[in-house]
Order: sequence, then structure tokens, then C-alpha cells
Amino acid sequence: MTRPAWTVEEDRPSDERPVAERAPAYAADDGAFALYNDYHDGRAVLVLRPRAVVPRDVVRLWQGASGSDGTHPLGPRTLTEGYGVFTFPYGPITMGVPESGKFEVTTYGERVLNLAPVGGFKSRRVRASVRGRPVADAALLIERIAGNFSAAHVAAFLAAAESAEGREVPREELWIRGFAQELQRIYNHLHVLARVAEAASQNVGLAQTHALAEEVLRIQGTAFGHRWLFGALLPNGPVRRLDATDRRRLSGRIDAVEGEFDRLWELFLGSRTFVDRIQSTCSVPRDEAIRWGATGPTLRASGVPWDDRLRVPSPPYEDLFVALPVQKEGDALSRVLVRGAEIRSSLLLIEQMLERWPSATSLVPPAEPVAEHRGIGRTEAPSGDLVYDVRVEDGRVADVGWRTPSVANWPLFALGMRDAVFTDFHFALESFGFAFAETDG
Amino acid sequence: MIAVPSWIEQSLHRGILTTRYPAVPATAEEVPETAHAPVAPDLATLARAKDACPVGALDGPTVDAGRCIRCARCLPRGLAFTGPAEEAVRSREELRRPGASAPAAAPVLAGFARSLHLFLVDVGSCNACNLEVMALANPFYDSQRLGIFFTNSPRHADVLLVVGVPTPEMREPLRRAYEAIPAPKAVVAVGVCPISGGAFAGTPGLPGPLDELLPVDVYVPGCPPPPVAILDALGRIAGTPRPPRRE
Ligand code: SF4
Ligand code: SF4
Repeated sequence: MTRPAWTVEEDRPSDERPVAERAPAYAADDGAFALYNDYHDGRAVLVLRPRAVVPRDVVRLWQGASGSDGTHPLGPRTLTEGYGVFTFPYGPITMGVPESGKFEVTTYGERVLNLAPVGGFKSRRVRASVRGRPVADAALLIERIAGNFSAAHVAAFLAAAESAEGREVPREELWIRGFAQELQRIYNHLHVLARVAEAASQNVGLAQTHALAEEVLRIQGTAFGHRWLFGALLPNGPVRRLDATDRRRLSGRIDAVEGEFDRLWELFLGSRTFVDRIQSTCSVPRDEAIRWGATGPTLRASGVPWDDRLRVPSPPYEDLFVALPVQKEGDALSRVLVRGAEIRSSLLLIEQMLERWPSATSLVPPAEPVAEHRGIGRTEAPSGDLVYDVRVEDGRVADVGWRTPSVANWPLFALGMRDAVFTDFHFALESFGFAFAETDG
Repeated sequence: MIAVPSWIEQSLHRGILTTRYPAVPATAEEVPETAHAPVAPDLATLARAKDACPVGALDGPTVDAGRCIRCARCLPRGLAFTGPAEEAVRSREELRRPGASAPAAAPVLAGFARSLHLFLVDVGSCNACNLEVMALANPFYDSQRLGIFFTNSPRHADVLLVVGVPTPEMREPLRRAYEAIPAPKAVVAVGVCPISGGAFAGTPGLPGPLDELLPVDVYVPGCPPPPVAILDALGRIAGTPRPPRRE
């Protein structure tokens, strides 16, 4: 028995539906299928053997194409040559950006004419490296693609592998994955808030937000034995069980985080300097967000109500209340507002889970495979929809593909920075919650 | 009238957040289970657990803390995470420990003033090591009180902190950063990625561990090492007082 996770559609190149409501989410690089999100109907669509796959310019961006060859994937700029116009590389070791990655910036002084993020510096060759490994060993590398998003990567990868193998999973294990993901979402949203506050010189708020993020890491360390959850969700390791005593202790600490966060949030929103600084910065219009496949808080901040936890439901989310905060403006403030609301929503999800913890005995069928021995796993990671496409043969990973939220959202950062002043760079960048680690893999 | 809460009131409400480490030993909260490298009760157990280890850290009569990614797979085979949390050493060899023993305390590195200026270079990390290093500047760890500062330019630094497994693309930027730091300088490998490749060890196309590219002065094992372990390693370079030993 399997669970459906999408609607299968024929490839219809003459589809009348406005492109604006259908966004690309993943394109298998062997052309076997493409995934789309239909924002009109609120459902995921799988197109087998698509003729026109995902638009080529989008795929180029996903593959890390830069503007360095003069053909920026976002399309031509009118004013990239002329008096005083120059292009300079910023990175790969970049002041104030703790990860290695590069930006090519075309400017004539103050205004940014064009900006192209360039990844590839951190590539640990994970895709090649996991081929041929048993699923549980491959997962050790997958959780280290991006340590701060480890729970989401492991959850999506395992879901895909389980679908490929047709393996049922104990419900409790899926709840533990969800629980870990919600904790990590809170950590990452706080981290984004701290980084934006830092860029805006909100020093007291910054210190307090860091302190709260540290508390979440400690909760993770206490509950799972590891501050970044490594090993805690893997099938072959000692998967942590959260017994009734653990859950009671956790509940008390989560309440305390909630109280602290509410105070902080009120103070941030009450700070005119903070709000003014990020309002109207790096705006992403709704149509562009859909066209380029934006995802997560970036997409929701531009007015599109899509969250995998609701649109591609699986345990534990199908049994819980998930809030869907949406903003309209698409600017850095909107992205921060969405993340703030989602911290509350994740705290509430954790409370719901602690109250309704399932028994270890019931089994959940995997999602239907996309082809023989091949499965898709999707999860709403902190910065958006994370897709894994995994082929498993004889218990070993034959191949794996993925599309991370960082990759999906880079074009929107590039777009939002067009015509911005360079001093907006840091607020703008931090408001998306990127990781070069998952851009490169 | 109800007063609007201010940042100052919020600070007072939260009180002092900073850890007392290293004046007192790190608390259990500061060092989760996996902050310790695993130790075997005896050599027979170690030999039996060998196959469980995905990275070959249990080889012969030693546990190689420089390879161990703290995955906990050897725990059901009888090893336990009981080693010290502060396990930085001066040489790669010292990380290969006889199966059932704790590491020797690393000597202080001579030639540095009591304050350090750090420059962080990521040569291919998962980001967790970057975030643990950056956490030193947050109010919980507050490295400034110990004279440990971050700088944005290698020219103002005396310590190069390296995180991640070296990629071919980062070799040249790494070399340039190293050369830009004025002497005397120290290189600290943070996490098992730069020490041995960690989970990525042996991946075709990667140039190998950091100490084949640069002279490394201090090795801080862990995946990632928790902030107190990094703080301890830096404290040793700066010659600041060590925490009293925990019983
Ligand atoms: S914790 Fe994992 S990596 Fe470390 S020695 Fe045990 S099995 Fe090996
Ligand atoms: S040592 Fe571990 S935590 Fe650090 S960068 Fe490598 S994989 Fe990430």
C-alpha cells in the first residue's frame, strides 16, 4: 500500500493555464519527470517524460549558472556597459558572509545594476560520493550537506528512499523527524532574525536572539544528543525515542522559549529603525516569485500560500494544525514577518506533537514510487520546499538528485538586488536564509 | 498607563547570559553527549566494534578522534561517549588514542599575546562548524571577555580558523588568506572535516586533509566541536587560564 503525493498529468504543451500559476519545483536530469506546484489548485503535479521540461533559464540557475559569461540567466540588462560601469567579484571569502561563495556585482558606484551569485566553491561532491552506498550510510553524508538544515535533508532523503524501496515506517519515527524539523526551523528562523538584526545594527535585539537560538541548539543537544541532530534520525543508528519523561521536560523548555520569543518579537516590531531599515528592501513581486520557482518564506512573503506541510501532507503534519502566514509585499520585512509567525506556528506544532505522541507500533505506508525503485521525498525545510529524487537498488543508492530551497531562491535575491544600493546587500541576503552549503552539496 | 517594554528592560529581564566557562567546568548543557569522542572499555570491545564505524575511526588498538564523526553507531557495540569535551591537541598523531584512554592535555602554544584575532575561512563545510565558531561571539560564550576577537581581514589576524573539507576550488583562496596573515600566526583546524576529511574522507576529487596543504598548529576534533571545545583550544593559544578539571 502506498500514499499518493501528487496528481499525475499528461504533458500538454498547449496547456491554456496561465504559466503564472504553475511553478517548477524539480526537473529530473534524465528527463524522466518534472514536478510542478499548481498555485491555482493548490496541488503538486507530476509530469512524466515532459517534452518542455522546466524552462531552460530556470534550470541554468538551479545548476549555478552565473552571469560571468555575459548572459545573465535572469535576462539581459539594458545598462551593463557605459561610462563608470564596472563588474567586481565579491568573494569567495567575503566580509560578513561566513560561508564561502561569490557574488559578481555590476555597478556604476552606488547602485547595483546586476548581481549574480556564484556557487561551487564548497562542493564536497556528495552526489558522486553517495552512489553505491547503503541508504543509511549515504544518509550520513546527506545530513552533512547543510548541517543547519540536517533534519529536513534527512527527512526528505529517507522519504524518497522509503518510497523507492516500498518500505513502511513506524509512525513514531516519522513524528520524531517532524519534531526535529520543527525545532530546527525555529533555530533557523531565529538565526535569520539575528542576522538581519545584525545588519541593521540592532545590537541588543541581536544578542537576545542569539541567546534564544543557542537555547534551541541546547534543547536539540539534550533531546537528541547532538546540537545539529546528526545521527539522531538515521535508521541504522540508535534512533532516539522521546519517552514520556523526555517529553514533559521538553514541554517546559518549549514554553520558556515561547515566552522569550513573544517578548523579543514585540520589541523588534516596535523598533522603527529596524522595521524602516528592512521595509521595501529587495522586493520580490509575486509573478516573478512564481516564474523563477521561489519557495518557502520567500514565496509566502510574496503572497503565495504554499507550504509542503499542507500541500504535500504526510505524518505528522496531516494530523496537526499548521498555520500558513502569508504577506503581500515580498520585501525583506515581509520575509522576516513570515518567519516570525512561523516560529510561533512551529512552537505550537511542537506542543501539539508532545500532547498527541503516537505509539511506536503502527506502520505508515510510503509515498507511491515515481518509477520502479525510484522515489521522491519532499519536505518544507526552513527556507522552503526541499525535493529529493532517489533510486535505490538492492538497498544501495543508485543515484540521487535534489533541488534545495537555497538553489530555488537565489534568482529572487539577484532580481531583488537589481537597482538596489549596495548597502542593502547584507539585509537583503540574510532575509532569504540561504546556505552555500546546500547550494553546492 | 502601561509602559512599553524596551530593549533595556528586556536585557534586565534576561539577566546575565554568559557562561562561567572556563572559570568553572563546562556544564552538561554546554557539552551534549556527542561533544565527547567515544571510548572503549577494553581492547576486545574495540576490536568487535570496528565494523560498525562508517569512517574507519576504530582501527587497530586506537580510537581516532580526528576521524570520528560522532555518529553513535559504535555505542550499541559497547563504546561510550565519555571522553573529555576539551580535546584539542597539537599534532594529528595525538588524536589517535589508545582505545580506552583519555587524551593528554595539549601544551600551550608559545609566541602569542593574551589576545587573539581570528580570521575564519570555510573551505567546504556543512555550515555547522561555521555556526559553532560564530556562536563564540554571541552572549552565551562572549569570547571577547577572554580577549578573543573576530576580524574581517586576514591582515589584522593572527589565527586562521579553518572549517570544512578542503575543495579544489578553495585551495587558492585559502593559500592567499594564509599568506596575508602576518607572522607569528597559528592555523587551527576546527572539526574533523579539515583534520581527516570527516564524513567526506576519501571522496574522489577532494585534495585531502588540511595539514597536507598548510602547517596546522592546533587540531580541534568533533563534528562539529561544540563552542566550549573551540573556546578551550583558543584559550590554550592565548594562554588564558584553563577550566579546573571535572571529576
Ligand atoms: S561514533 Fe561513529 S564515527 Fe565515531 S568511532 Fe563510533 S562509529 Fe566511528
Ligand atoms: S566537521 Fe562535521 S560539522 Fe564540521 S563542517 Fe565537517 S561535517 Fe560539518
